[in-house]
Amino acid sequence: AGAGGGNDIQWCFSQVKGAVDDDVAEADIISTVEFNHSGELLATGDKGGRVVIFQQEQENKTQSHSRGEYNVYSTFQSHEPEFDYLKSLEIEEKINKIRWLPQKNAAQFLLSTNDKTIKLWKISERDKRPEGYNLKEEDGRYRDPTTVTTLRVPVFRPMDLMVEASPRRIFANAHTYHINSISINSDYETYLSADDLRINLWHLEITDRSFNIVDIKPANMEELTEVITAAEFHPNSCSTFVYSSSKGTIRLCDMRASALCDRHSKLFEEPEDPSNRSFFSEIISSISDVKFSHSGRYMMTRDYLSVKIWDLNMENRPVETYQVHEYLRSKLCSLYENDCIFDKFECCWNGLDIVMTGSYNNFFRMFDRNSKRDVTLEASRENNKPRTVLKPRKVCASGKRKKDEISVDSLDFNKKILHTAWHPKENIIAVATTNNLYIFQDKMN
Amino acid sequence: MLGRGLKRKLSDYEENMAGLSSAFDSSRSLPYPLKRQLVLNMCLTKLQTYKMLVEPNLHRSVLIANTVRQIQEEMRQESNQQPVNICPGIAPSSHSYTGMESSGMSLQLPSGISQQESNCCDLRSVEDPIENSLLIVSDDDMSSAISSILKDLDFVEDISPPTCLVPTGDDQPKFPENTGLKLEDDRPDLKGAECVFGSFEISNSTSYLKDLAIDDIFEDIDTSMYDSDFCCPPLMPPRSPSLATEEPLKTFPSCNSSSANNIQICRTDLSELDHIMEILVGS
Repeated sequence: AGAGGGNDIQWCFSQVKGAVDDDVAEADIISTVEFNHSGELLATGDKGGRVVIFQQEQENKTQSHSRGEYNVYSTFQSHEPEFDYLKSLEIEEKINKIRWLPQKNAAQFLLSTNDKTIKLWKISERDKRPEGYNLKEEDGRYRDPTTVTTLRVPVFRPMDLMVEASPRRIFANAHTYHINSISINSDYETYLSADDLRINLWHLEITDRSFNIVDIKPANMEELTEVITAAEFHPNSCSTFVYSSSKGTIRLCDMRASALCDRHSKLFEEPEDPSNRSFFSEIISSISDVKFSHSGRYMMTRDYLSVKIWDLNMENRPVETYQVHEYLRSKLCSLYENDCIFDKFECCWNGLDIVMTGSYNNFFRMFDRNSKRDVTLEASRENNKPRTVLKPRKVCASGKRKKDEISVDSLDFNKKILHTAWHPKENIIAVATTNNLYIFQDKMN
Repeated sequence: MLGRGLKRKLSDYEENMAGLSSAFDSSRSLPYPLKRQLVLNMCLTKLQTYKMLVEPNLHRSVLIANTVRQIQEEMRQESNQQPVNICPGIAPSSHSYTGMESSGMSLQLPSGISQQESNCCDLRSVEDPIENSLLIVSDDDMSSAISSILKDLDFVEDISPPTCLVPTGDDQPKFPENTGLKLEDDRPDLKGAECVFGSFEISNSTSYLKDLAIDDIFEDIDTSMYDSDFCCPPLMPPRSPSLATEEPLKTFPSCNSSSANNIQICRTDLSELDHIMEILVGS
């Protein structure tokens, strides 16, 4: 998949979606980004509970130097704010995660979730409509029966494409705590949803019950020291899944072992480096995202300062560690004070050998596992001419700042890239800043 | 009114904290105990802020609680080596950490405040009750703060109870007569801001509690609605031995403070509860 080899990819600006003004409406804050299995569709969820799906244009044979553009395909309100009257709590409509199902027929299906409820949406196209009813006029009014003298069979005629989204299943009332992950099983029949303390297994057809497969809630909440932060099914083995914790551990569980997978099959944990110990060591070790490679042999985790690649066969340490923004290690107290230390960065890969994750100041980082080279790029409207190659950025940690470098103290910590996605087949990436979606492609020829 | 005043002082405090945290990051010469105290204070401030939220973030609360526990453990080990002091206050000179010069004075007593004030960093305002209460935090106070916020995060209407069967811990009321109070405690959203630090200052100042008769604390609560047959058991606990009374008081911090505000909140809670009961019973 992708560029392969050790050749560095040259990333070019392709498109940017979203409002231009600096004043960000809260509802427009992007909260999740996900390509579908073919890469033709790109979905985003926002804090206002809306899902926007972009579709890639079919490749234009005459314009062979660029891949198809993504244009709005469908927009719908997935979740609404709710009020839990028993607990006097408002349930946010913010979309935490979107996951696509593989396409089985003409329609597309995706799961979207907020803190409490998961919904299965069907997105279908309508480009024909029946015309020529016997009893109705074209506008729907009933004809006077005495004027009907012949029998007509309605025929389908083309119409302007209409894309409809309809909720097909609503999976509710299964989570006391906030849902942070959903993951579709490789059997394409079941999926898991994880909150801070529990993981549930659902069947896509059944909404009135789910199996609880992980429960780490202690009998006495005062003993709580660890929460679940992310969970994902193995891409090939339908009985295997992993979940990460706030203490920097990943547990791999096999559902064949027992009904309740409280005892892990494998525990992945790296011993702490004593030279880096600080008051904030535990907080920055909390894993914010976990993703399997396409093969399922490796998995990637993201904690506050680094990305780690784990071989599923080796539990005691990762096989590779990449520093995302090590210059922040000396700023941890300030970042704790302004809560940035709790930011949950996601990570993604091209599935094989390049990983990508976001940082501050609208920077994002890419690491090539083969060449061990890394690059820092910026998502900004300043480079918004199509096919402009992005210039690598550099942060000056200390000492004299060179030209074009940015010093750590000038970084804008309000501009954070938390969500990124990589096209499953091509070198196209989607990067979400606070309220804009950037699409970058590699430079062709 | 009180809320506004509180907020203003908090934001001053936050500005000071921003200065302190960048000092923490940039200065290598800040002594370790001072850094530790700074982090501890930040943690406790955050926990206090979360207490004010209707629904605190569980992930963050757990991380901060663990950080507090870690610091607590460190301080405990240090104090085992030095007999005098558990929790030093912030002071410009480092030598004041090792052994409190205040001659074995227990930090929990309110009179400790004045001693601390004289050692205060000049960034702190002497009259600020939040800062002062942070300075006199002791081991038990920290534990009870963590316990209190984690307990609040345990929802009563948890739809999937824990699968492991464990003998009842604090979840079950120890005295059946206290079930009325139990409902009170499990509604995390209606407590006032004073809860975390309310429990700090009062739950450990046991002498203060013993001075008050139980009846005095509850005399403002209107319990007339609870006198009918099918309603909840009476709010006021029966007279029990003094050891047992500390227990319900500890777990229901909103009833500890004798401030009128809290009693007011209790009264509103009760009428809302009654209203909900009416709906459920269908009367």
